[in-house]
Amino acid sequence: MSTASRAAAGQKLAEYNNNPVNVLQIMRQIQLQAGCVDADAIEMLSDGLGIPRAQLLALVQFYSFLHLEPRGKYDLYLSDSITDRMLGSLETAEVLTRELGLSPEGHSEDGEISLSTTSCTGLCERGPAMIANGHAIQRVDTKRAKEIAKLITSGIPVEDWPVVWKAIDDVIVKKGPLLGKTLTPGAAIERAMRLGPHLTIAELEVSGLRGCGGAGFPTHLKWETCRSIDADQRFVVCNADEGEPGTFKDRALLNQYAEVLLEGMTVCAVTIGAKTGYIYLRHEYEFLRAQLLQHIEARREAGLLGRNILGHHGTDFEIYVYMGAGSYVCGEESALLESLEGKRGIPRIRPPFPVTRGLWGKPTIVNNVETLCYAAGILEHGAAFVMHKGNEPGWKLLSVSGDCAKPGIYEIPLGTPISEVLAECGASDVQAIQVGGPGGELISEEESGRLLPFDDVNTGGSFIVFDSTRDMFDVASNFTHFFAHESCGFCTPCRAGTKLMAQMTDKILDGHGARLDIDQIHTLNRVMTQASHCGLGQKAAVPILTTFEKFPESFHQRMEDVDYKPAFDVDAAIERSREIVSEERSS
Amino acid sequence: MSQTIKIDGVTVPFVEGQTIIQAAQDADIFIPHLCYHPDYSANGSCKMCTCRVNGRQMSSCTTKAAAGQVVESNTEEINSERRVLAQMLFVEGNHHCPSCEQSGNCVLQNMAHRLGMTALTFPNFYPGRPTDASHPDILLNRDRCIYCELCVRASRESDGKDVFCISGRSENKRLAINSRSGELLDSGLTRDDAAASVCPVGALIRKREGFATPIGEREFDRNPGQAVNIRAGTLPKLPRQPGQKIRVATCSLAGCFGCHMSLLDIDERLVDLVQVVEFDRTPLDDIKDFTQDCDIGLIEGGVCNTENVETLRKFRKHCKVLIAVGACAINGGVPSLRNGIDVRELLETSYVDGLGVDNPGIPTDPELPYILENVSPIHEVVKVDYFLPGCPPPADAFWHILSNIAQDEQPDLPYDLMHFD
Ligand SMILES: Cc1cc2nc3c(=O)[nH]c(=O)nc-3n(C[C@H](O)[C@H](O)[C@H](O)COP(=O)(O)O)c2cc1C
Ligand code: SF4
Ligand code: SF4
Ligand code: SF4
Repeated sequence: MSTASRAAAGQKLAEYNNNPVNVLQIMRQIQLQAGCVDADAIEMLSDGLGIPRAQLLALVQFYSFLHLEPRGKYDLYLSDSITDRMLGSLETAEVLTRELGLSPEGHSEDGEISLSTTSCTGLCERGPAMIANGHAIQRVDTKRAKEIAKLITSGIPVEDWPVVWKAIDDVIVKKGPLLGKTLTPGAAIERAMRLGPHLTIAELEVSGLRGCGGAGFPTHLKWETCRSIDADQRFVVCNADEGEPGTFKDRALLNQYAEVLLEGMTVCAVTIGAKTGYIYLRHEYEFLRAQLLQHIEARREAGLLGRNILGHHGTDFEIYVYMGAGSYVCGEESALLESLEGKRGIPRIRPPFPVTRGLWGKPTIVNNVETLCYAAGILEHGAAFVMHKGNEPGWKLLSVSGDCAKPGIYEIPLGTPISEVLAECGASDVQAIQVGGPGGELISEEESGRLLPFDDVNTGGSFIVFDSTRDMFDVASNFTHFFAHESCGFCTPCRAGTKLMAQMTDKILDGHGARLDIDQIHTLNRVMTQASHCGLGQKAAVPILTTFEKFPESFHQRMEDVDYKPAFDVDAAIERSREIVSEERSS
Repeated sequence: MSQTIKIDGVTVPFVEGQTIIQAAQDADIFIPHLCYHPDYSANGSCKMCTCRVNGRQMSSCTTKAAAGQVVESNTEEINSERRVLAQMLFVEGNHHCPSCEQSGNCVLQNMAHRLGMTALTFPNFYPGRPTDASHPDILLNRDRCIYCELCVRASRESDGKDVFCISGRSENKRLAINSRSGELLDSGLTRDDAAASVCPVGALIRKREGFATPIGEREFDRNPGQAVNIRAGTLPKLPRQPGQKIRVATCSLAGCFGCHMSLLDIDERLVDLVQVVEFDRTPLDDIKDFTQDCDIGLIEGGVCNTENVETLRKFRKHCKVLIAVGACAINGGVPSLRNGIDVRELLETSYVDGLGVDNPGIPTDPELPYILENVSPIHEVVKVDYFLPGCPPPADAFWHILSNIAQDEQPDLPYDLMHFD
């Protein structure tokens, strides 16, 4: 492997001109090509890029798709999101493990196959999903798993697997203005140039556009702050990390509306005065990268990107696509910027916020894919673009998945009752809906009159339906483990707290839960919510607590009405001793 | 006129650009902290300095002071959170103070002491991270690292070397060394570097300096600082007839009997004690089994084999109140240093390769208890009502608690009777 990694390192260093800025891109490419970024590769990168070894090691150990030890020639990751589990991912894993003769850790004896799980891959409505050698594979049910096992056993490379498995299309169920109206490339940029920054931002203000990445921050305020700060350089960054389990609307936009996104980024650039933009695309969306680059190229040729945009002398803007390497917290805007700078994705101390000190310390706009798309529509057609009946502004994309007849993308007017979406997506026998991903809100069926974003029930786009057959404790447990896995580990309350929460969840799952555990969860929740450094830790105890509140039976059926029950299991604890004693007796 | 903020009601002046913790320090107000150090850039990761600032909780080491700010720090709300943070750091690593070179000079220990962290109620992680002893002068025991990043910053900002860096994420976070071998030996770190002496805990220590200062004269023995809002755990009151003696049982599990010795160290007060206390099953009187149910069970030592488990469960069954006595009962203590080592290796070291072993062989007699894979603190096996820290807890601590109970008072643990070693 070492020769492979050295060869890959040499090649990628040359491709990226030994530019340390691209360290993470280079590492990711080495991983895809050689199956690991091992000590030899690190050595070469350290010399070639002038970055200390330990910092390179730190990157490999931070991002979940980078590995020091070689992965198999068939490098498989099964998505472990709740939506995949609901579609049978555990059975899929079982079949693959059995048919391929893998160890419980997921390795084949010859080391040619590696199977692991990964957090949500953004294929929630077409799971169980898998990433195989960087390719997204959809609907890997047990039947497909068997076919995959056969292909692998006969040595067919992933590139040659059936195209339909990899054809990730988007089911767009309900169109509003963004998904429904056709936009003319360049029209929004032209109008923004004509209006100038003040009026462009005023237009956004009238439209009421708010961030679609989850926080709902008014977009015009962000742009205005960024623009008004004195600086020699500014950046536009599109947040296409889409890591929130249950969200896939950005995927659809990147796939079918890339033109609109690039238009929106360019509108932002001419408005705030940025010359460079980045799309931070999650690793799992590798399959979207090539076509995104093609769109960029085509727009450059059409004079919509690059130098002198639309013939305006001195209006230059370039867009680069930058790939993530497996980390949910990199969706947090300041962690994303760290990652863009080639570091571990640790959220920064804020303030200062990215709008004042962002990428390389310069004022930076970080906006979600959808936000930037709406900005393009609003600039082309005016704020009327997002008006709906009653002349209220604002729409939002939802990614609907879980137990419903019509999962897919829904564009809904702000203030839509949850019940309406449930009816439209053909959900019946509904028990609960998780809105806004694991850190969002668990809504019981009785509350389905509540209103979707932003002010009542907020969401970055995730909308997962659970029918009455689902065990809500399992759902909460899956989310709790997700947070423990994705904690960046920077701050004490989240690093230790998420692991303790996961342990307590397992304890309850194993039937050892008692009242004191619930007290402990409350104690942890208070500290994690109050003291965590970023939104991940602040929200990590929420799933368990809201499930306990709204679906207490799912806990009580696993718990006895006692104060305390130890997780301690004598038999497990002496298993090793017993083994040794019996070995000794027989020898 | 200079600008001011209010910290716990006290008016504190500040200079433009200062953080809350800096303003507090200038005014001699103590805000608990671990990763903050006046000589280095702020890190903001330990979260121990969290205060309520104008109603919202913020890290005071990264929040700038602003005129008129109202800061709450020394409140039960905030301190109880800090106590949980301290607990998190203890259970996340292997903090066996009695065997740690840094004990008495350790900032984490002192913080836990000042905050009144008597109990570890969370399960211990027993991480088993690799130790680096390669350097002739400096030792890195990663199991004690609290990721304060002070060594990272000191090496970068004072020494200009960049020897350390944080690697990994979540529970797999690690302190990494920047050298060809990945170890300290060829890292360029030297004994005189600021980074070599900045560690607030016993993770990164200079060799041949440990235990140099006798107990009683170490930094925090001499100047422990003021207790911050001490509030030890509360013990349920015992339903007793007036004048009736308290029935006490004791035992030593995986312990060294040191805690029992300490109990005996109350010396002539034993005479007073037996006026109000009656001992049941205890090695002190050699009563081997419970003659009747007891009010209090004092447990020394952690749980290392099946016999310990049985004894402990019996105590739980027969005692109204169970008190974990000493470091081993509370977090496994010295015996738990074996956690992470395979049981076979342990048995072979003791019964085959051990010094002075006559008849080598791993014992297989069915009468013998099995040893557990890990030594566990007793609260992971049974419910524990109260924790009495120390290695051992001082005689006065026993005396204090038992007399509290005898006089029907809510037992507490005075600051000066609380120790971690
Ligand atoms: C843990 C965490 C993960 C996040 N993940 C994403 C993400 O995947 N995509 C996204 O657009 N925003 C994400 N956000 C929100 C971003 O920090 C930021 O608010 C957003 O990109 C701003 O863009 P907007 O104003 O257009 O919504 C995340 C936030 C947190 C705390
Ligand atoms: S809250 Fe969690 S994810 Fe966020 S900075 Fe802290 S450790 Fe990292
Ligand atoms: S004295 Fe040692 S063991 Fe105790 S808290 Fe400090 S570093 Fe940890
Ligand atoms: S070794 Fe010490 S100074 Fe360095 S990060 Fe760990 S605890 Fe902090």
